[in-house]
Amino acid sequence: MNLILRLAWRNIFRNGRRTFLTCLLLACSLIALVLTDGVMRGMMDLMVETTTRTFAGEAQAHKKGFRDSFDVDLYIEDISIVANKLEADVAIEAYTIRTMSGAMMSSADNMAGGLLWGVDGEREAKVSKLKEALVDGSYLTGKDNEILIGEELADLLSVELGDRIVVTLSQVDGGELSQALFRLSGIFKFGMREIDSSMIFINLAQSRKILGMEAGAHQVAFNFVNAKDAVDPESATIRSLSTGDIEAASWVDLQPQMSAMLAMVDFSLLIVGGILFLIASLGIINSMFMSIYERIYEFGVAMAIGTRPSQMVTLIMAEAFFLALLSIVGGMIVSYFLIDYFSVAGIPMGDMEFEGISIHNNIKTIFDISQFTVLPLSVVALTLVAAIYPALFTARIVPSEALHKSL
Amino acid sequence: MSKVIETSHLCRYFGEGELLVKALDDVSIDVEEGEFSAIIGPSGSGKSTLLHLIGGLDKPTHGEVILAGTNIESMTRSALSNFRRDHIGFVFQAYNLIPVLSTIENIEYVMLMQGVPSSERRKRVFEMLDILGLDGLGGRRPAQLSGGQQQRVAVARAMVSRPNIILADEPTANLDSKTGISLLDMMKDLNVRHGMTFIFSTHDQKIMDRARRLIHLRDGLIELDEQRKEFAA
Repeated sequence: MNLILRLAWRNIFRNGRRTFLTCLLLACSLIALVLTDGVMRGMMDLMVETTTRTFAGEAQAHKKGFRDSFDVDLYIEDISIVANKLEADVAIEAYTIRTMSGAMMSSADNMAGGLLWGVDGEREAKVSKLKEALVDGSYLTGKDNEILIGEELADLLSVELGDRIVVTLSQVDGGELSQALFRLSGIFKFGMREIDSSMIFINLAQSRKILGMEAGAHQVAFNFVNAKDAVDPESATIRSLSTGDIEAASWVDLQPQMSAMLAMVDFSLLIVGGILFLIASLGIINSMFMSIYERIYEFGVAMAIGTRPSQMVTLIMAEAFFLALLSIVGGMIVSYFLIDYFSVAGIPMGDMEFEGISIHNNIKTIFDISQFTVLPLSVVALTLVAAIYPALFTARIVPSEALHKSL
Repeated sequence: MSKVIETSHLCRYFGEGELLVKALDDVSIDVEEGEFSAIIGPSGSGKSTLLHLIGGLDKPTHGEVILAGTNIESMTRSALSNFRRDHIGFVFQAYNLIPVLSTIENIEYVMLMQGVPSSERRKRVFEMLDILGLDGLGGRRPAQLSGGQQQRVAVARAMVSRPNIILADEPTANLDSKTGISLLDMMKDLNVRHGMTFIFSTHDQKIMDRARRLIHLRDGLIELDEQRKEFAA
């Protein structure tokens, strides 16, 4: 082994306690970064899943213009065009067909406005969590006059199971008012105020009838077999559906606030990393200077017998490199076990609402190869950057002055 | 005999104004090849300063140092390091060795820097271990050696790269009398046999007794430059 490298390797073990503490600092920084990254990824996945799998679906198809105006007249008349493509697509896990319109609900005691969704109960259960969210009553079976409303809306309307609810809405293609009487068959609770206080679900066939549509729908929501496929807004599925007057979009386009939030999460990781790195680098500089001052006489001797300033720089940088190497090995081992443990056990966060998205589950850390490549390499790079100043200081040592330093 | 060291009007001042200290003031000496000389004087007389200036470890305030025909003042720090590595051997008072290297590694340190091939390095190291009575101690770290053994390793390291000049700054200061005498006899022997130039900075009588030339310094000035008659050819 090269003499300077051999010297550097042995030097770091001269003061075991200091080396241990420096390595601990670096390893802890790495562990904190890896865990933060794992938690952030877990949280992002949970947020995306909460947003997409709760109700919206990972992607949707609509008639062009509907997303901008929510005009009930803009519905897909021949839904089989979309349905056939989705049936044939192996990337698709499930899809559901929905009608949607604004409606006024009135009970014996009160009245409230909301969004009326006509859904196929069986299909809907495969795409959204409507069935799972049911807290009272029974799910949609396809019979007429069944209606599901949220817990908050039920409170507002002061209705119980079996009570009558009259729904008034405007029909398509003309805007004639239409009314229908329902008996409350089920109450759901998603835990998201927006849904629980204003959404009403009835059977698709009856919704078409009262809306005056024959076979169309306003929305087709679908989920992919692999959730990552939804991240690509230009995927083959999206492109194949976006023909004629139909437009399809994944949640990335449908929920721009979510995409922006995910970008913000990446940015926060950068800030956390930056702060950790700054603290760690100050620790490294301090530790290296202590080590240099302890050996200043020795450096004076080494320079006197012909060690060049550049070789002194190499020595200090190599010491820093070995410190970083030891730290990342330790840090990666601990990080691996922590990430692995929390990926199963999860980190309990209670009921948390983040940027309007309710998170109820434990956040499970997610392993990513970058946590064990990019982050450790960043720690090595940081250590080397932090070592530049001590290394240059060492190179500037004047041998005669160093030889006068007390031992 | 050719001159290996020439200093001309060498001055080294520290501080300024009222706090100015003239550690060395207008010192001019010539040293011939193969000399065994000692710079002597009381503490603070400028012995170590002169030795450091000669060895290029410090820069003079005025004056110049010419080593083996080369003016070292014009050299860059890197070139000066290379020059020291190739032409000068140093032995200091104590703590001369690199603690994490073994005896063999300490001795071959300079040769490694010079890029001497491994086989040649090992040959020279074992030759030195033999000459300096360090057989069997090659694998030991400095902490496992006595003070005398450490100084012998330092001498071996200074000599093994075959420099023109060996500068020794109070090499016996931390040794007991018997070990000091033994080390000096060995250095003297090496001087006689290999013709290396030795310059000591010392106030140790044992070194003065063996030196052929004594340069007396006091308050940074040469008080006396004495050729010892008993060593005259």
